[in-house]
Amino acid sequence: MLASVLQVVYNGVLLGGIYALISMGLTLIFGVMNVVNFAHGEFLMISMYMAFWLYHFFGIHPYVSLVLIMPAMFIIGLITQKGLIQRLIEAGHFAQIFATVGLGMVLQNGALFLWTADFRGVYTEIGAHSLNVGGGRLSTSRVLALIAAILVMVGLLVFLKKTRIGLAMRAISQNGRAAWLMGINVNQVYMIAFGIGSLCVGVAGAMLIPVYSVFPTVGSYFVLIAFVVVVLGGMGDIVGAFVSGIIIGLIETVGGYVMAPRLGVLCVFVLFVVILLFMPSGIRVKSRTDS
Amino acid sequence: MVRINSKVYVLFVPISVFILLFPLMVKSPVYLDIFIMFCLLAGLGGAWNIIGGYGGQFSIGHAGFFGIGAYTSTLLYMHYALSPWIGMLIGGGLSAVISVLVFYPFFRLRGVFFTMASLAFAEIMLILSVYWTSVTKGNVGLLILFKPSLGHMMFAEKMSYAYLALFYMALVVGVSVLVKRAKLGSHLHGIREDEDAAESLGVQSARCKSYAMMISSFLAAVGGTVYAQYVQFIDPETLFDVSISVRFALLPIIGGMGTVVGPVIGSAILTPLDTMLRSWLGGAYSGLGFVTYGAVLIVGVLALPEGVMRWVKDNIYPSIESLPDFVWGVRKEKVVHAKKFIVPAAQGSGKSDEALIEIEGATKVYGGLKALDNVSVTVNRGEIVGLIGPNGAGKTTLFNVISGSQKLDGGKITFKKQDITKLTPPHKVCMEGIGRTFQVVKPFPHITVFDNVLVGAWLRMGSAVLAHRTVREILHFVGLEKHQEHFASNLTLADRKRLELARALATAPDLLLLDEVMAGLNPAEIEEIIGIVRRISSEMNVTLFIIEHVMRAVMGLSQRIVVLDYGKLIAEGKPEEIAKDESVIKAYLGEEYLYHAAGSET
Repeated sequence: MLASVLQVVYNGVLLGGIYALISMGLTLIFGVMNVVNFAHGEFLMISMYMAFWLYHFFGIHPYVSLVLIMPAMFIIGLITQKGLIQRLIEAGHFAQIFATVGLGMVLQNGALFLWTADFRGVYTEIGAHSLNVGGGRLSTSRVLALIAAILVMVGLLVFLKKTRIGLAMRAISQNGRAAWLMGINVNQVYMIAFGIGSLCVGVAGAMLIPVYSVFPTVGSYFVLIAFVVVVLGGMGDIVGAFVSGIIIGLIETVGGYVMAPRLGVLCVFVLFVVILLFMPSGIRVKSRTDS
Repeated sequence: MVRINSKVYVLFVPISVFILLFPLMVKSPVYLDIFIMFCLLAGLGGAWNIIGGYGGQFSIGHAGFFGIGAYTSTLLYMHYALSPWIGMLIGGGLSAVISVLVFYPFFRLRGVFFTMASLAFAEIMLILSVYWTSVTKGNVGLLILFKPSLGHMMFAEKMSYAYLALFYMALVVGVSVLVKRAKLGSHLHGIREDEDAAESLGVQSARCKSYAMMISSFLAAVGGTVYAQYVQFIDPETLFDVSISVRFALLPIIGGMGTVVGPVIGSAILTPLDTMLRSWLGGAYSGLGFVTYGAVLIVGVLALPEGVMRWVKDNIYPSIESLPDFVWGVRKEKVVHAKKFIVPAAQGSGKSDEALIEIEGATKVYGGLKALDNVSVTVNRGEIVGLIGPNGAGKTTLFNVISGSQKLDGGKITFKKQDITKLTPPHKVCMEGIGRTFQVVKPFPHITVFDNVLVGAWLRMGSAVLAHRTVREILHFVGLEKHQEHFASNLTLADRKRLELARALATAPDLLLLDEVMAGLNPAEIEEIIGIVRRISSEMNVTLFIIEHVMRAVMGLSQRIVVLDYGKLIAEGKPEEIAKDESVIKAYLGEEYLYHAAGSET
């Protein structure tokens, strides 16, 4: 009994690490630009396909392919920002929602057309490997994803705190117009923010492919979880996203263990409703003022 | 909302006749199939339009309701042999109930949260329908046995389906027209344009959104039944997929969101296009078809954010309107120049000189800053009281706590002898008889001046006739009747200020809070506004509490002036007393001016 409880907690934390990793880019983009990218899940799907094809054709191990996927996703983010989001910054929620939804549809169905609906996975040694800790088993590839989530979080925090562009991003997130008047090239910073947000989801794609198969609609499930994570963590709050990612992972796993595996997801969505009702600013509300 | 004073309506007659006769004229099953899908999708787009277009709540989860409708009627038909006509109503009702249970919590939140929640809703429906195999047979789907008869809502020939789909579309269009003309439509427009301003005019935003959501989800579910009876096969993927929801939203977006015919136009453009793509692409359609949909969505949002209908209104309507008056049924509206206003009559007028509003010890704290520090003010019925003070003195905060958009941290507010301290959503305060304008004007930019004022007028007026009459009177009163058909976004600042006045007056307030209605205007415009404010007091018997920096105006208008500085009440009295008050001069102009003023006086 105790062992299985420990195992459930392990699984929950590791699933949470994956959710946190996926949500980092989304929350960064929202924090800086106040835009919710509804195509975020499709960005994840694209980067998983990248990792898959790099492995399939060139035999590049998914973790090694990170060095290729990260810059590639950064560039895709830049292009999306320059070509699409830039035109919508002033246009309000309506245009932002539907333009990114449209982009998601194009990517998802483009993938369906090009690569069919088949599930494609990568078999790696590490994917099958697991660690024994205190009587429970930890899937090594999931542990690595958790570590990646921590590294991405720390990396983003250092970037925002220590670099000039990071400072500019924090300034813009407070007041874009004022930052613009202070001589910050807001559009350029937006491009970099969107690029980095996409880069983060690129990391997630490469870390996930040893764990999950990729198929065209893989993103639409994960993006919903990412929404819950980002809202619970406080929109734009990077540490909050990490913490809430773990919480959501635990809730889903424990809920699935107590009831039925599939109902774990329902617990998460019920939680989503509760969060939106009672703490729409997220769990770390003290650090931010909304007025 | 929709006033029959336009020749354009004549244009709809031949188009409607054409649509009505189309199934009789066309025998080709291919074209009939396109026609059926055109009607069905136009109806589903119209259902989305009621909450999305009118109310500005962008759902991408309407496939959830569509699927609930299809599954409910189909399961009832298969297991209990219940006629789909009845199953359709049950499915619609179920869908409406679910929509309120699921979405009511989200209506307190704004913008993108609602969209995220709607997406999650449809996704949950998909998960449930896939895994609840004992009922839905999961991904295998449900096959409806083909037994043609009217009672089974299944027909041997496509023409009957064409009229069934047409009936559905007509139902949705009819409901859309009714909603748009009613109070609900007007209030939804207000919510879409500016929820804070709408609340200040007495709009109960959460309730309005719920009603609209119920209507919208009911109609979407009915569409689900019609669809199921037409294709006689349903499975989770074709009912609940996100791309289905997006499709519903896409039609009004392309055709013209928030217009009655927008979804129909959108469907007339996109449905034939869709069928053509399907036949060109063949097997590749499953991917590329939706790629095209996504691309159309992006291009539509970027290039034509207000849809085809906007373009038609701007380019086609004027030339139709300029045609000679050969058409019957065109009614010109008369502007009523009434001396006696129906508006204030709606509110009981009490004795003058008794206290209308009493604020006692009002305190509001932001962190360490006391925006209001134990402020006590009384405004008597029929008075005009000025509220002045330097920037940041707490003037607007005082208005915000009175109007219920912020809560007091201490103190008490009594209005018409009732305690309204805890009365928070602004619409409740407005209902009690307190109207306000905003320092930064908040017109509803994308609807006409007339419709702007109408949002307020519905508060006290039970019927469209009365509400419309009130609007015309008030527009005449503030001098905006020339602009009544213009969009609020096209007005000058002075006219936007008048519009704010008009909108607040339309709610028939006892007390009107005016927050810098003269700021940024030139001297001639200020004179005009002063004139209107005087007449609001004298002709409409509305009590006025005015924040104003234009000294000439506030000194001339006010019978009494209250001065705030750093959240504290520092002076109160007649205008001439205030002008000489040392503490006021010090607060406004600084210490050195005090000596200056004192020197010049001796």
